[in-house]
Amino acid sequence: MAITKHRGIKIQGIVNVIPELSEDNLKLTIIDENERQKLVNHTGIRYRRISKLPVKNLFSRGIKEAMEITGWTIDDIDILICVTQTTELSIPSVACQLHGDFNFNQQTICYDINSGCSGYVYGLHTIASLLSTINSKNPRALLCCGDVSTHLLSSDDTSTQPIFSDAISVTAIEFNQNDDTITARFNLETIGKGQSAIYTEINAQNKKIMKLNGIDVFAYSVKYVPQNIKALIETAQTPDELPENYIFHQANKLINDAIVRKLNLNIDRVPQTLSLYGNTASASIPITLCTCLNEIKNWVLLSGFGVGFSVASALIKLPDFVPHKTIEI
Amino acid sequence: MSLPLTEIEIFLDFTASELSISQNSISLETRFRDIPTWSSLNALIYISRINEETNVLITSGDLSEIDNLGEIYQLIKERKHGHN
Repeated sequence: MAITKHRGIKIQGIVNVIPELSEDNLKLTIIDENERQKLVNHTGIRYRRISKLPVKNLFSRGIKEAMEITGWTIDDIDILICVTQTTELSIPSVACQLHGDFNFNQQTICYDINSGCSGYVYGLHTIASLLSTINSKNPRALLCCGDVSTHLLSSDDTSTQPIFSDAISVTAIEFNQNDDTITARFNLETIGKGQSAIYTEINAQNKKIMKLNGIDVFAYSVKYVPQNIKALIETAQTPDELPENYIFHQANKLINDAIVRKLNLNIDRVPQTLSLYGNTASASIPITLCTCLNEIKNWVLLSGFGVGFSVASALIKLPDFVPHKTIEI
Repeated sequence: MSLPLTEIEIFLDFTASELSISQNSISLETRFRDIPTWSSLNALIYISRINEETNVLITSGDLSEIDNLGEIYQLIKERKHGHN
């Protein structure tokens, strides 16, 4: 079991970029009219966002905004990681394309991570691990995560159409060499036998489409996520490290409510953004975190789970103030 | 967790209610895929409600190997008693 701890890591800013164009599940014609309200009630999803722009363009806008809210410059960035499964071009990586577009330093570590719903936590872990190895006083990183996946959905698929939504998020992270206190703990797990719960296939028209087995995503999430979180929380050294808020990947309400029940959490401590934004894969955690950043003053639990089947949780100590912004384009 | 779904009458009552059908229209012999309201969404809601009431998890693999409500009832009964 990969439980790790990291010192000196600080989230210094979050920018969410959300497409303005939305679709309403109450008007989703592939679902029988009498069933639509039930669908919204049980999935928790009313609106889904649709991007006409590729994921790289959304990342690009997020980086520009992140530079503004943090006051950082492109020359400050030591690491650029992009977590996505929906690149327009498979070669070269989106991170390298953005490196070229923004003219990042030649020394900037730059690569993509192919990960979905658990990807934000995986990205944070990768950056936390890398930053501490860089020989400078306050190395800085950008974590871009999210997907434009709605073009992968079959127009008549009642399992995927009501759920998936496009959005991205960019998180600015800094490492303080002089800070010896633990500010992040992670528990990363993979249950590869669940690889068929969410996958892509080539259909008869030679088009790549995403498939979802909702019952298996439910079963894997309910079986593995609560135990992953419990194991991580047990590593907290002091009562101060126990999280007041829990930010889950926004899968759907059935799954998220079941996890809340298994952990016996107060629902008021588990913010949700499903209704407005749907399931935005690896962007859903930072998007949801931003809805309560002003109230969280200490440790927060983040948990991503899904495609893989992959489960990743983090206990993160947030600074007193994290600049953040959610923009629609 | 509250409903004792290991009792046949309660299980059928619960199933009828969750799938929005009359209890008179189903029995343990009913093939669940033939129930008019059985859909990917309703199947997911039904499986999640079984979990909520009994803590039993049923996968798509389980469903692919069985046909009727009696076999779902049997799965719940077995797993509820620690054979999960």
